[in-house]
Amino acid sequence: MGARDLHAQTRTTSGRVVGSDGAGLPGVTVLVKGTSLGAATDADGRYSLPAPAGATTLIFSFVGYTSKEARIGDSPLTITLATNSTSLDEAVVVGYGTQSRRDLTGSVATVTGKEIANTPVQSFDQALQGRASGVSITTPNGVLNNPPVIRIRGANSIALSSSPLFVIDGVPTYSGNNSAVGSVANNPLANIAPEDIENVEVLKDASATAIYGSRANGGVILVTTKRGKKGQARLSYDTWVGVSKPIRLFDMLNAQQYVDIKNEAVRNLNANRLAATGTAGTNVQGFNLADANGNAYDTRWFDYIYRTGVSQNHNLSFSGGTDKTTYLASVGYTKQNGMLVRNDFRRFSSRVNVEHKLFNRVTVGARVNYANSLNSSPNSGSVGDGAFGTGGLGRLPLVLPPNISPYNPDGTYNTNGAGIGAGPNYNPTTSTATTLQPLLPGYYNPVVDLDNNYFTSESNSLQGALYADVEVIKGLHLRTQYGIDNLNFEDKAYYTSVAGDGFSAGGQAIDYYRTNKRWNWQNTAQYDLSAGEHSFSLLAGNEQQYTDVQRWGASRTGVADPFFTTFQGNYLNIAAAGNSQGSNYLASFFGRFTYNYGHKYLFTATGRRDGYSAWAQKFGNFYGLSAGYVISEEGFWKEAGFAKVFDYLKVSGSFGTTGNNQGVYDYVSLPLYGSFLYGNAGTFYYTQGANPNITWEKSKKTDASIAFGFLDSRLTGDATYYHNLVDGLILDVPQAPSRGIPGNSIPANVGSMRNRGFEFNLRYNVLQDKAFTWTVSGNLTTLDNKVLSLLDDTQRIAGTTSGLETANYTTVGRSIGSILAVPNAGVNPANGQRMLVKADGTVVQYNHLGTTGTGWTVVSSGANTTSPTQLADGVYYGPVLPTWYGGFDNTFRYKGFDLGVFIQFSGGNYIYNGTKSGLHDQRFWNNRADILNRWTAENTNAEWPRVVFGDNVSNGSTIVMSQNVEKGDFARLRNVSLGYTVPGKTVSKLNLSNVRVYVQVQNAALITKYSGIDPEISVNGGSNLAPGVDRNSVGQARTYTAGLNVSF
Amino acid sequence: MNYSFRKRVAALVCTAMLGLGTFSCQDSLLNLKPVALLDAGVAFDTPSRVLAQVNGLYSYVKVGGFLGGRYQIYGDIRANDFVNRTSNSVTGLAVWNHTLAETSQNDVVSVWGNAYAAINQVNIFLAGLDANTSKLSAAPFPSDYATTATYYRGEARLLRALCYYSLLQLYARPYIDGNGSRPGVPLRLTAESGSGNNNLARSTVAQVYDQILIDLNFAEQNLPLSYTAAQGSAAVSLLNVTRAHRNTAIALKSRVYLTMGRYSDVVTEANKLVPATAPYVAATGVANSLNASVAAVFAAPQETSESILSFPFTAQDPPGTQNQLAYYFLPTQLGGNGEYGLNTSTNATTGGIVGNPAWLSTDLRRTNFVVRSTATSAERFLAKYPTGSPYTDKAPVIRYPEVMLSLAEALVRTTNTVDTRALALLNAVRNRSNPLAAGATPIDYTAASFSNSTTAMLDAILLERRIEFLGEGIRNIDLMRLNATIPAKGTVSAIPSTAANYVWPIPSTELSTNNLMTRN
Repeated sequence: MGARDLHAQTRTTSGRVVGSDGAGLPGVTVLVKGTSLGAATDADGRYSLPAPAGATTLIFSFVGYTSKEARIGDSPLTITLATNSTSLDEAVVVGYGTQSRRDLTGSVATVTGKEIANTPVQSFDQALQGRASGVSITTPNGVLNNPPVIRIRGANSIALSSSPLFVIDGVPTYSGNNSAVGSVANNPLANIAPEDIENVEVLKDASATAIYGSRANGGVILVTTKRGKKGQARLSYDTWVGVSKPIRLFDMLNAQQYVDIKNEAVRNLNANRLAATGTAGTNVQGFNLADANGNAYDTRWFDYIYRTGVSQNHNLSFSGGTDKTTYLASVGYTKQNGMLVRNDFRRFSSRVNVEHKLFNRVTVGARVNYANSLNSSPNSGSVGDGAFGTGGLGRLPLVLPPNISPYNPDGTYNTNGAGIGAGPNYNPTTSTATTLQPLLPGYYNPVVDLDNNYFTSESNSLQGALYADVEVIKGLHLRTQYGIDNLNFEDKAYYTSVAGDGFSAGGQAIDYYRTNKRWNWQNTAQYDLSAGEHSFSLLAGNEQQYTDVQRWGASRTGVADPFFTTFQGNYLNIAAAGNSQGSNYLASFFGRFTYNYGHKYLFTATGRRDGYSAWAQKFGNFYGLSAGYVISEEGFWKEAGFAKVFDYLKVSGSFGTTGNNQGVYDYVSLPLYGSFLYGNAGTFYYTQGANPNITWEKSKKTDASIAFGFLDSRLTGDATYYHNLVDGLILDVPQAPSRGIPGNSIPANVGSMRNRGFEFNLRYNVLQDKAFTWTVSGNLTTLDNKVLSLLDDTQRIAGTTSGLETANYTTVGRSIGSILAVPNAGVNPANGQRMLVKADGTVVQYNHLGTTGTGWTVVSSGANTTSPTQLADGVYYGPVLPTWYGGFDNTFRYKGFDLGVFIQFSGGNYIYNGTKSGLHDQRFWNNRADILNRWTAENTNAEWPRVVFGDNVSNGSTIVMSQNVEKGDFARLRNVSLGYTVPGKTVSKLNLSNVRVYVQVQNAALITKYSGIDPEISVNGGSNLAPGVDRNSVGQARTYTAGLNVSF
Repeated sequence: MNYSFRKRVAALVCTAMLGLGTFSCQDSLLNLKPVALLDAGVAFDTPSRVLAQVNGLYSYVKVGGFLGGRYQIYGDIRANDFVNRTSNSVTGLAVWNHTLAETSQNDVVSVWGNAYAAINQVNIFLAGLDANTSKLSAAPFPSDYATTATYYRGEARLLRALCYYSLLQLYARPYIDGNGSRPGVPLRLTAESGSGNNNLARSTVAQVYDQILIDLNFAEQNLPLSYTAAQGSAAVSLLNVTRAHRNTAIALKSRVYLTMGRYSDVVTEANKLVPATAPYVAATGVANSLNASVAAVFAAPQETSESILSFPFTAQDPPGTQNQLAYYFLPTQLGGNGEYGLNTSTNATTGGIVGNPAWLSTDLRRTNFVVRSTATSAERFLAKYPTGSPYTDKAPVIRYPEVMLSLAEALVRTTNTVDTRALALLNAVRNRSNPLAAGATPIDYTAASFSNSTTAMLDAILLERRIEFLGEGIRNIDLMRLNATIPAKGTVSAIPSTAANYVWPIPSTELSTNNLMTRN
């Protein structure tokens, strides 16, 4: 057909394709139905193409959007395409490559960058909460940049890490808290600006993860950063400002109530002494409203510790591309102030992603990210092992008496030695009527710490890769990629000599410097071949990775003058601190074979052989097999009447093995001697025996899944059953302490555990009107975790909080880290004593210093008895891991407005609320206001026992009791956002291509019966053995943000 | 671009990738070793490494959670001479209150663990010496190294004895209770490294004491008389205080026999160190003696000849947080944390020694070591350990006057008389701190002071020990070896020897792993 003829028979049709936000969509394929005539939209989403005279319909399609057909009209058309984040044809990033979701047989969840961007978080992993099935993410507390606890399909280890492997653009990176200073956390993932992320894929089953072999037991999270797109030069600016506030703070006793309750407790103690010894107790009612000089205070300690934190975030990027080159460059700045005073996070980030077609078949590219982040935090007592610290800000407002002030009347700090001054309180037990002894709390004055101390962790991260891809013959790609991930940390702590932790040292400055250096070299060959209905793909590759981690540091004490507040100042003493060194090397060979027949029968086989330097036996093999059947591709289905409605059905299954070495000591198999000092002499000491048998934990993962689509895939979903058997769990097998083994444990592959459950995803485009759209999506995961074997069936592995309190025990037949607590039988109405139940059923009660014995008596007989103990009398409460969790997302759009309502929910778990025991402790500690409902002669049906001064037993400080074990079910309105996209016409006049303004609330509401500050809490961070413990932690903030997205 | 060039580029890239990458795997990188830790295979390769291991044994015994501070503190705060000021459960509150549980971390669990960790270091070292005899008899070891190795064995076994002795004082009934027939602690005498071997029953108290004496007798026979040459930066004066020598073994034996109530053996041992008459200076070995000034004994660097064994600390090797003696006893104004003040009550049974009028107001131990936090404060503190951060006061283990007073007590008990030599010994210790002022009447005890009652004299000796060793962890030993009631104080009741909490509970960590272990 000649060109002239064509022209004669065609007319030109033109228009514009926009997204649901009204912005032009570049690169959309516009096809004349029934022909091969087509065009792509330009940078502004405009298209123009010749249409044959007989053509009536255009088809618009674009990856990530639902395709649409429209009639060719006379006037220019404006077509709105709706995003479809789980579109079946989207490319899914998998290990060392991509696959179409339609052909995928492994379990991979995708979270799009849009769901992550604009959220007021420090690291993108925090924003994944509730977004993907099978992925449980717990924010341990409201302290900035504290790594969330991520568990993909349950806990997968006991002694090693249960966290997933994070891979950024193909290079495995660091995660978890890397800070050397306990008070301040540093999550290396915060070095990636969330706005730079295109997609996050979560690999869950054996088929998807086996390609990562020995590192994949906890799942793999792949992060793909944004790239420039062909033909689309774009300059974007995203910004938001926000404020964070604390919520759900406890209602504490005020000064008057405190004085009344504590003096009542002293009177009760005196009565107890009289009853027990026959002589009157001589304890003094030492609690007063005002001191001898008449100074009275009613301090709400929260007011000094919490604030409204103001945050801002900016990200500027430009991107574009030609046929040969695509590029994206971005710079970002974020400054976030948390709700805790002095809790500030700041990041400068920059990224360049370029790809260039060097020759016809040779592509080279680079992706480089540089970021500097600085996190600063006060001693919150919520990070690291700080739960019981005497300076923890989670704890201080709960224990400090409200009738003392942080300041003396002359404006100076109220201190006595390291601690806060006594104020108007006298020690009831050591004072006499004539000689009053001040009651020194021993806890710190938080204002001194907040004003003077600082804890910072600053990191410089250079992360990226260079790669080259050669298509040797059609379909055969050879690719090499050399990546580096160099991360330096400078961690600082400064403690003033005025009071607090630095007092006895005379002021202290500690600096640590840590370098994480990694290189990763991957070489792969991939061959794709299609012949008729048969499609093959074969991948073979080699990967080597070397990681070197070193830290050195020093502690300087005895500041020469208060003028010096940095390590570089002058001090009297210096000692080495925090030195460590480790290195490891991983060498791997891997392959993947996929086959599909007509996108109908799908098959994938994956294998990997890993060699790892830490083991004595270096190599191990891992594999995954999976198959799928897309029934809806069968002819009979397509011809069936229901196919119009029920248009997609796939069943698939997988089986395979992966391993875990994440968190194992680099030299775990070697016999070693350490060195320290004896006075001024050097020492050597035995520190580790040879351990030649220790090797990877292995996980056998089984998966069965069904995916469906209804109504032209307006309703899509999937349901998956997973079963994950972790074998050869490395346990720090407890050794009898009398053996004197260093650390009292030896690691060995002895345990096994399984996680199983269901995952459901559902997404429904309820309405897709031109003006109004409504999309609902939700996911739900169930988890049944059970420890199948340990060293032997009687072994109980303790999980200890801050080395002081053991609430969790891991045993065979129960979920990991279950809580062991002595059952509570309430408050005895007859005498106000706490009643607990011993293992033999005896109900015993406690009266502090009120008997001649231990204080414990048998309720029925009144006879003296021994204290119940956790190990002998405790019963298990579990699981502490949520047994169900998920998210529920609603997106509404009306013209330019969009409204997002995202609910995260979780439950089925128990929490050990240790904070609650502290809140009702009858030492001088302040109490939660509900203590007013304590037993008295007039109030015999009370919630709390009769108060007796000094009693730290009745409410749980010394015995873990079921009184403080609570269910952790909750639903949280995690995010509500309302946005408005300025109409295209207005925007165009301003030479802009897209403008959106929005407001949103994070943590807008919380529905829970949990009495603590937040049911989503983990004072022990990512600990496998001591999860679900709430001890003096700070909760999560509520954050209001307003933002703007503009692109030119 | 022409085709052949493209082909060449492709071929080059492929070759490079295949050659360098795909099939490579660097064996040396698969066998990485640490650079800050020593491979066990070379630990016995040089004399300095073996010596470093000996020092390592001491460093294990003197960790802050054991004999570097906490053990001494617990020995004092169980009784009534101190009051708890901070209600901090991390710093011994439950010890002071007698409310310890088998899960109590910082005391019950930690002391046990630290003691046995040190014991195993000893056992591993002894096994290592045996296993490496061929190495030790060749270069670079000198030809007379066998003697040196024997010294080291003596030191190791002395430390093991000290650990077992210390364990018995807290976790077992005293010897006097059933003549050592009550349950002691598991007796671990062989090196423990791999898995297994968790179960070991408790030996009886007597069996553990037997082993302690075997070790101490071995030490006495094999330790050097004294240190005569500096080792690196450790001077002779330091070595003779911080490393065991023959007199250390003898002194410890006198303590062990006293604790067992074997008084004639106390006399035998103490006689090796204490001459019949003043001046009281050991005749052989290190010239351990009663130092003229008690203040000087506790002034830095605490290296007088009176200190038979003390554990050193430096800024680089500090006792660790909340373990330091001065941190517990010194008031904050003087650089400590005032965890425990002196019990100023003057009650005859529940009062502390500082409120006891028998401790004269002019006593140099009172004038030097009892302080107020401020001039007006009613509280009193012990200032025996004067050095604040970084808390480098040496932690005392045994001093010469203890041998003297043990001897005095044993003489009274064996002769059942108000023994003259015992009187002289008691007076020597007492008068060192109560020198005669001009024109004052002599304050020497005489037989008449006790109306010839041995009981009264024994009480005087015990009182003197309570004053002399205040804050050195001896009080608990002195109460328990006699099966005496632990006195009440403040709101804390007395603990009779029949009470369950007269001794510490066995740690839950041991009970849960050692199936043959039994509770107290």
